Amino acid sequence: MADSVLHLMRTLNRGVAYLIGIMLLACAAFVLADIVLRQFGVSFGGTDEISGYVMAIATAWGMGFALLELSHVRIDLLRQRANPLGRSLFDIFAMIVMTAVVLIIAYQCWPVLERSITNSSTANTPLETPLVWVQGPWFAGWVWFAIVSTLTTLSALTLILQGRFAESEQAIGAFGEAEML
Amino acid sequence: MITYTAVGLLGLLALSIPVGIVLFLLGIGIDQFFSSFPLLRGLGSLVWSSSNSATLIAIPFFVLLGEILVRSGVAARTYAALDKWVSWLPGGLIHANVATATMFSAISGSSVATAATVATVAMPQAEKLGYDPKLFSGAIAAGGTLGIMIPPSINLIVYGFLTQTSIPQLFLAGLIPGLGLALAFVVITAIICALRPSLGGERRTFPLSAMMRALVQLVPILLLFAAIVGSIYKGWATPTEAAAVGVAGAFIIAFFFGRVDLAMVGQATLGTVKITSMIMLIVIGASFLNFTLASAGLGRELQDFLNGLGLSAVSTMLVIVLIYIVLGFFIETLSLMVVTIPIMVPLVIQLGYDPIWFGILMIVLVEMALITPPVGLNLYVVQAARTSGNLSEVMLGVIPYAFVLLLMAGALLVFPQIALFLPALLN
Repeated sequence: MADSVLHLMRTLNRGVAYLIGIMLLACAAFVLADIVLRQFGVSFGGTDEISGYVMAIATAWGMGFALLELSHVRIDLLRQRANPLGRSLFDIFAMIVMTAVVLIIAYQCWPVLERSITNSSTANTPLETPLVWVQGPWFAGWVWFAIVSTLTTLSALTLILQGRFAESEQAIGAFGEAEML
Repeated sequence: MITYTAVGLLGLLALSIPVGIVLFLLGIGIDQFFSSFPLLRGLGSLVWSSSNSATLIAIPFFVLLGEILVRSGVAARTYAALDKWVSWLPGGLIHANVATATMFSAISGSSVATAATVATVAMPQAEKLGYDPKLFSGAIAAGGTLGIMIPPSINLIVYGFLTQTSIPQLFLAGLIPGLGLALAFVVITAIICALRPSLGGERRTFPLSAMMRALVQLVPILLLFAAIVGSIYKGWATPTEAAAVGVAGAFIIAFFFGRVDLAMVGQATLGTVKITSMIMLIVIGASFLNFTLASAGLGRELQDFLNGLGLSAVSTMLVIVLIYIVLGFFIETLSLMVVTIPIMVPLVIQLGYDPIWFGILMIVLVEMALITPPVGLNLYVVQAARTSGNLSEVMLGVIPYAFVLLLMAGALLVFPQIALFLPALLN
């Protein structure tokens, strides 16, 4: 059960990461086109604004992928001195705290979107982007991070209770500094 | 509040909670214990406003640029070309390590990427030509640290973003210290190898014609550097937009060497998303902590704290430098910068120092953190590229270079102009 949940999470997040990558590449191409066009006195306008939205959405949705790739930096000075049981206790504690904080973040992000929905807010820019269009996907990204974080914690907890420390370490451990790349 | 933050920071980090999450936790704690307003309600808007940023999109772009270049094969060519130019010095090929790292720093925004790139192409040569592994690998680890000093620099972008200082000015300020460090690395290598030739390797000279032909290999990197930095200072592009120019340039180089295919782009993309999200969790956490500290009255408390200490501005700066050196043993680069910015930068500004100058000083100290054990990323990156020998050899090899970095920190304290000269010229 725990294994299949983790496997599914990895597959889904890899797909999400590819989509973010495509979005970032498209954004780079768009910015580049604008720089070139400006030399000829024309401009799409609003590249800054759009880059900002892309960044906010890419960041929110990339968090879950980074989590499963064990990329969120942890200082494992004490952790690495512990035995396998101790290490998995460090890991599960860190994950529970992380999940709690991410749930708070996702919960606190909702009012931002809610306000934009009720006021039909538009950005204070020439594009007058309806904020719902960009804050919707952004909020969904943080909710996704909260879901990934919760399910990963529960799966790892199951593994630890079954005494499968090596597998739980694979799911939520910390990389040695050398493998960070 | 300062004590609470400092103790909480170190305690939570030691529990191996992710750095970004620790920053959020501290912010939430400040809201609970030190603020009469409910600051937590600001969390959502802060997460939105700090990630909805056209400035910060430079981070994924510069990371992507590095990911593509590493896979383009340009590093090996650059290394071979620089070998022909610098290997006549005492220390031979070691100078090519520093020179290649310097050139890659000029297009890469990250020190770890720079060290990894140079290590991959240089380490096999060391083993083939019988170099002493200590100084050879130390030079790569240290040379790699220049990645965050010589523009463009992801760390300077983050610093500029969090402290509201001008990123083009920070980039300019980093140029002279960065090149100065590269030169100092070359000089100290030459001195050490002249005194103890066994530490270096064979000095080789090449005919002028071979040297001239080698120059062609340097063209891709130089063009890319000119495109990135030129477009910023010509006013054609903001630092962010210049990063997009860099991505395009990196693609062109990789395409030229026949390395662009779907698998390569896919790998580069995944790496970019991973690293960007990792950085952004820390940056957003720091923005929130920044906000809570400022709202809860950090400024006044810092003033009291400074008056209480009764130290002169210079002594306080020395204490700050010492704190960074000590923390640098244990905390990884960007985390070290970001977790300390909310407290240190207001303090330094209160003392009457220039935030641009302090940004550069901080980079030098963080560069030291990159090569000081037990947590020194570049040491591990270089070690990972070696096929034999252990980590302690790399640690021994960086000692002279760490010493050079310390000297540069001292020089910046005594002569702030080293950093501030170029930005002043621009104004």
